[in-house]
Amino acid sequence: MTPVAQIEAPAIDYLQLAPILATLGGSIVVLMVGLLPGRFVQRALMPALTLVSLFAAIAFAVAIWEPGEVEPIVEGALSMDTLALGLSVLFYSAGVFTVLLSLRARAVREAGAGEYHSLLLASITGMTVLAAADNLVTVFVGFELLSIPLYVLCGSRVRSEPSLESGLKYLVIGSVGSATLLYGLALIYGATGATNFPAIAAALEGSVGATDPLFLTGVALSATGLAFKASVAPFHQWTPDVYQGAPTPITAFMAVATKAAAFAIFLRLFLDALAPAQPDWAPALAALAWTTIVIGNVGAIAQSSLKRMLAWSGVGQAGYMLVGVVVGTQLGLQATAFYLAVYLLMNVAAFAVVIARERRSEHGDGIRSLEGLGAASPWLAWPMTIAMLALAGIPLTAGFFGKFYLIEAAVEGGWESLGVAIVIGSMLSLVYYLRVLAVMWMGPIEIELPAPVGRVARRVKPVGGWSPEAGARAQPEVSAVAIAAAAATIVLGIVPGVLFDVAADVGPVFGTLL
Amino acid sequence: MLTIHLSIVIFLPLAAALLAAVLPGRAGRAGRWLVLAGTAGSLAYAVAMIADLDASSAGLQYVTDIAWISELGIRYSLGVDGLSLFMVALTTLLWFFATLAACLREWEHPRLFFFQLALAETAVLGVFCAQDLALFVLFFDLTLVPFYFLVGAWGERDRVRATTKLIIYTLVGSLLMLAGAVALGVLAAQESGGELSFALADLTERTLPEGTQQWIFVLFAAAFLVKMPAFPLHGWMPDAYRAAPIPVLILLSAVLSKLGAYGFLRVVLPILPDASLHFQEIVLVIAVVSILYGSALAFSQDEARLVVGYSSVAQLGFITLGIFSLDDLGAQGAVLQMVNHALVVGALFLVIGVLARRTGGSESLAQMGGIAMRAPVLAALFLVVGFATLAMPGTANFIGELLILFGAFESKLVFGIVASAGVALAAVYMIRFYQRAMHNRIGERVASRDLGVRELAVVAPLVLVIVALSVYPQLVLERTEAATVAKVERAQSLARGEPPAAPTAAAEGASP
Amino acid sequence: MSATTYAWLVLAFPLAGTLVIALGWRVLFGRLAGWLGSFAILLSFAAGVGALLELLALPEEERSLTASAFDYASTAGLDADLGILVDPLSVFMVLVVSGVSFLIHLYSVAYIASDGGYARFFSYLNFFVFSMLLLVLAGNFVLLIVGWAFVGAASYLLISFWYRRMTATAAGIKAFVINVVGDVGLVLATFLLFQATGALDYAGVFTGAEEAFAENDGTLVAACLLLLVGAFAKSAQIPLHTWLPDAMEGPTPVSALIHAATMVTAGVYLIARTHPLFELAPAAADVAAIIGTLTLVMAATIALVVTDLKRVIAYSTMSQIGYMVLGVSVFAYGAGLFHLMTHAFFKALLFMGAGSVIGAMGGEQSLDRMGGFRKAMPFTFATFTLGALALAGAPLLSGFFSKDEILAFTIDRGGGYVILGVVGYVAALITAFYAFRMVFRVFFGKAAPEAAELARGGIHHADPQNPATGEVEDSDVGFPGPEHHVAERSAPMAAAMAPLALLSVVAGLVAIPGVTDTLEHFLEPTFADSRFIDVHPSESAEYIGLAVGGAIGLLGIAIAYVLYMRRPGVTLALRDRLRPVHSFLARKWYFDELLDALFVRPAAGFGRFGRTVVESALVQGLLVGGASGAVRAGTSFARTIQSGYLRAYALLLFVGVSGLALYFLIASA
Repeated sequence: MTPVAQIEAPAIDYLQLAPILATLGGSIVVLMVGLLPGRFVQRALMPALTLVSLFAAIAFAVAIWEPGEVEPIVEGALSMDTLALGLSVLFYSAGVFTVLLSLRARAVREAGAGEYHSLLLASITGMTVLAAADNLVTVFVGFELLSIPLYVLCGSRVRSEPSLESGLKYLVIGSVGSATLLYGLALIYGATGATNFPAIAAALEGSVGATDPLFLTGVALSATGLAFKASVAPFHQWTPDVYQGAPTPITAFMAVATKAAAFAIFLRLFLDALAPAQPDWAPALAALAWTTIVIGNVGAIAQSSLKRMLAWSGVGQAGYMLVGVVVGTQLGLQATAFYLAVYLLMNVAAFAVVIARERRSEHGDGIRSLEGLGAASPWLAWPMTIAMLALAGIPLTAGFFGKFYLIEAAVEGGWESLGVAIVIGSMLSLVYYLRVLAVMWMGPIEIELPAPVGRVARRVKPVGGWSPEAGARAQPEVSAVAIAAAAATIVLGIVPGVLFDVAADVGPVFGTLL
Repeated sequence: MLTIHLSIVIFLPLAAALLAAVLPGRAGRAGRWLVLAGTAGSLAYAVAMIADLDASSAGLQYVTDIAWISELGIRYSLGVDGLSLFMVALTTLLWFFATLAACLREWEHPRLFFFQLALAETAVLGVFCAQDLALFVLFFDLTLVPFYFLVGAWGERDRVRATTKLIIYTLVGSLLMLAGAVALGVLAAQESGGELSFALADLTERTLPEGTQQWIFVLFAAAFLVKMPAFPLHGWMPDAYRAAPIPVLILLSAVLSKLGAYGFLRVVLPILPDASLHFQEIVLVIAVVSILYGSALAFSQDEARLVVGYSSVAQLGFITLGIFSLDDLGAQGAVLQMVNHALVVGALFLVIGVLARRTGGSESLAQMGGIAMRAPVLAALFLVVGFATLAMPGTANFIGELLILFGAFESKLVFGIVASAGVALAAVYMIRFYQRAMHNRIGERVASRDLGVRELAVVAPLVLVIVALSVYPQLVLERTEAATVAKVERAQSLARGEPPAAPTAAAEGASP
Repeated sequence: MSATTYAWLVLAFPLAGTLVIALGWRVLFGRLAGWLGSFAILLSFAAGVGALLELLALPEEERSLTASAFDYASTAGLDADLGILVDPLSVFMVLVVSGVSFLIHLYSVAYIASDGGYARFFSYLNFFVFSMLLLVLAGNFVLLIVGWAFVGAASYLLISFWYRRMTATAAGIKAFVINVVGDVGLVLATFLLFQATGALDYAGVFTGAEEAFAENDGTLVAACLLLLVGAFAKSAQIPLHTWLPDAMEGPTPVSALIHAATMVTAGVYLIARTHPLFELAPAAADVAAIIGTLTLVMAATIALVVTDLKRVIAYSTMSQIGYMVLGVSVFAYGAGLFHLMTHAFFKALLFMGAGSVIGAMGGEQSLDRMGGFRKAMPFTFATFTLGALALAGAPLLSGFFSKDEILAFTIDRGGGYVILGVVGYVAALITAFYAFRMVFRVFFGKAAPEAAELARGGIHHADPQNPATGEVEDSDVGFPGPEHHVAERSAPMAAAMAPLALLSVVAGLVAIPGVTDTLEHFLEPTFADSRFIDVHPSESAEYIGLAVGGAIGLLGIAIAYVLYMRRPGVTLALRDRLRPVHSFLARKWYFDELLDALFVRPAAGFGRFGRTVVESALVQGLLVGGASGAVRAGTSFARTIQSGYLRAYALLLFVGVSGLALYFLIASA
């Protein structure tokens, strides 16, 4: 009689796991069903199924919403606390928007609807895992599960050279990032002898001094790895290239969801596991925040492609949010979470308009594609206007309170200088945000615009003709997304209470924080 | 005492504009009059408040105070005291006439234009009524959006560059102020260990250490001095003034410039008294330089708009001088002068519009001349406005400048004496302007004719207000005294080396 | 009615006149505006008389009444109400001002008849009278300043009344700005007094000053000197006098009213009004006396050479005001104000006569072109000569008594004042000379063609042009009207000149030393507090003074007679002999050039510098350009490192990581 190894499967609270399962399952189902031929399946069913799984995930997330600290599940691999869930809801809604924006996207047809949507869901699953990770190993798993589908999605327009280039670039740089992160995590483990966040924190308070070089190198490397994903300078350079090359719906998805995921783990790792070492890493991250804010906004000024411009501005915004991490307080965490939500709305609105225009305009995603939009089709111009004003942090938009919250967190955490950094960033950002408004509303007159770089605007005349009205009418779902997001930005700018309550729930997930 | 909801006063114009914007086709063309009615409504409220306000108390009246965003400690808190009252009054008055002037000519996309116009009024009124620093900042920054469009989309020469410059200049200031405001609230709360609050009343109670006060002061001063504008931060002024259409220009110069001065009185002096004292002389230098430099440039300009533009730099210099004399006389003078300057500048720009219509659209003094010949009424009105602008004794402007100078003499004699040279210079640039336009040989493209009914309807009432106020400036002085004195008393007692007066109920503007 | 009620009426009528004429200009046909204006002033004069009677009804010590309409500006410790002060001094001024003004209005009704701006002229003129009366009735310094500035404004408007004449507008702005400088002086003075006494009304300030200041206290002297700045700006005393000659650009009645009879004497009134301060600060008073003397002699010398008829009279005005300033600042208030009154009469008369002559000349003002009007204009000749005699101080005429009384008081002060007095007598000689230089050159000698034409019953009409520059003009609004008028042909002008002629002769009789002292006695209550109220030169001294003065006057006239009648041409020879002196005088002692170099050019230069250099270099260049330049540099840098090649990115990546790691290691160590 040979002895049988007894492996005890970990006790898993499947209800807690439900959101993850929803998207994961969705991904598989979509992939399978996608094999069926037929215009209906490809054009209607795929998006529908994806949306179903996403909404299911949202529903579950809301169902298990439980403020405060929660027991980790799966042997402490994941903890589906409000931070994880809250941000996951962001991922899901980003997914929903992406699906809608992709309805007419070439990428979907070229890559195949099944693959496209299934990859999207897979990536979202990875994000949730990452956001919920309570363990170094889970971190890496989530990180890769998030990234790999995205590499493919970036290249999903297989007949478009820029798309492929962007996919490849992302793959290479992303892998470097992942590698760096992996080293970092390994070193942290080596130094603290623990993979569980609470254990690491405990170790730092106890035996392992926060000054252990091994440990600190680990922190440095993992910070770098995350900085890649969050496109924090000086690890941001892939961002403009990849954003510009990738199919615009995917760009939008990366801009909002990936960034959110990256910050989710930033918050988890640094405010939970590494919280005790805050005095050591805070100055370094502060320096990163400064560089990011300046480089991002300065870089954006020179852009003539809207996608590149938004990419750079995204870098700058990442800098703002990093401030919330640096201060290492509960208020900082809340401010960052709050800003992530606002950031999602503002960018979705902007990207939606870009998509609507680039499909119709001879200037592609060039800033000129917006010329005279204000008069021609206000339904696209207003969302763009609101998005720009919000990104610039003008009052009566959610962006204003986002900045307000971050500055407040910074000052309250004793980092007045970072508060000023945010302000300076906003000043620089005015130059390019206002330029967009000018092009839309103040034409037709000569406005000093940066010269386009690289690829010149395509000259293929689509059937709809150039007329912007046609652009708006021909793709109602895009306008709808734009308007919805913009409207939400305004509403949250006037009655932000709801969002603040959520942020307040998200706050106290780590007992250690003040 | 009437029950007046300031929210109505503030949002009435915006509501009217929104309604006008959604009116269908034919009705939509009447929309502008609806907007005008909205501004008229606010004006009526302002007049009612002037009549009704309890002048004796420095406290706030018609208070609205509800928690808005408790997480950020922001309250939706509005109130009016003598100081705010006349700011509200001049805002509504000028807006009414500017809107009227706008109604009398055609615009592209009129709905959008009048919407922006009304939004701007709401924002400005918000600033003057806000009793919560965060709310103040919010409205303050909000003013820029409509003006960005008003100048940029309906402007004239080189409008986009001008408007971008205007916004970046002023918003840079405003953003610095945002940082300053947040820091002020948070640090004050930490200092006092109390709840996070931006209520001006609380902030006045919670005194910050001088070091903190100083860097926060710098952030606020930047915002306010740019807005005025003061030398050397007036770089946006010439371009913006050239580009803005007349009705917008009136508001830009008459009302928006006051936001800065008002901010100093409402926020900086009461809440940062030590810093105000510490920076007093620097600000005074800026003020005096603005006076002399502005005047000198005013009498070496050829463009009528810029003559008035630079004269405003000088006038705002006087106002700043009065405020930072940290003396109640000076402050009172500053407040009165804010009202006066708004009135005369509004009238002047209207007159410039009228003149341009008689010189084939040109606003260059070289093209004008002899316009008085067939236009006695215009000449007379212009003359009254001109005398008021140069603060001739007998006008309310003189009383304003007199009080300002007295205040300055009291606290810093030297600055006062240098500044008084500005009075003489004002005579030079104003009379020069008047003569070049109305007198001398007739310009070759000048078609001299008197005011039409529409023109008269816009200009004459403003001039009447100016005259009325000149006969009885006490109207303003007696109502503003209590509030203004309360605003300066802490800084004043510091300046005079007296033991710092604990903020009285008046200084807090405590609401009943 | 009480005196104050009358005083309010005194103010009300001219104001009403102004408004009615200004608003009704469209409907006031013909000369209605003129008659309305004159009537308003007449009523005002009547009210003045009423106030006088009411005042005389009161016992002397109560002859100082105040009344207040409402709080004008009272806040934060400052308290200025709209209040008036009625006392002998103000009533005296009211009567002189409104009386002379009425006659000049009357004169203007005809003189300005054909001008395009007829109604405008009279509303301005009424406004001026209102302002002047406000000035003299004001009960506190703030209101004084208001009136002070209003008369300045009215003067500006009337100087550049023919506003399409470049010379007129230039003169206007000059006068206005210099007057504003004066206002600023007053404001500063007011502050110093306010700071020391906490009061703004006269009584409060004077009593407060006595407690607050010792004799010649620095602050008080400063305050008085600043008051003098205001006084000199208005009264055209050195160095703020340069505007007065240019002011002759205005219509002749304006010169008569504002720039001879009333406004320019405001400075004298101010010193008299604030005499308690000056008596506390004798140093300041001496400064005033000296400057007054300098002015009176300088102006007299210039009057010798000027060839523009009106300007000769203008310089004579400056000179005569010099006498008054001297008088009041040696504390001979009665004498100073007495001369103020007589001067108002004969100087107004002289200007009216000049206006009549200029009318005959068709707008021409140069003495060189005039001559021989004696026959053609007997009335003008007679009245003008009377005025000239009074000015020259010919015995028994008004100027004779008033001027000599001032000099008698001055010399009586002894010490350095004697010099001032002597200088005064010397100037009196010059005065008599230039007065009759005018008479002889205008009315005697070879008849000018215009005179001949007038004798033939026509009146000369030059084609409209600016006599100063010869620029061509039309006679529409903004330029002088087409017709000209002479006293001989238009009753209102004659009717205005006759009484003045009479007054110039007899006005002196109110103060014959030892015989009558009506005026001084009437004014006494105002100056009761003066330490010098009872200081009088002995009668004998006065009579010696009179004798000397009379002799000097006659001598001057005699010299003029010799030079211009007996031996015409000698003057030309003299001029060539003394070329440098002549040109020095003809250039008015170079004061215009001086002020120009000191103030006008630097200011203009500063403006140009600001516009060209500062704006572009500092404001736009450094601030705007600098900031945007930095940003632009940053963007191009960002663009260059954003090459799009992975290897470049890898490099930066490496730099980043190692930097981060290094930081941690260093920080930890």
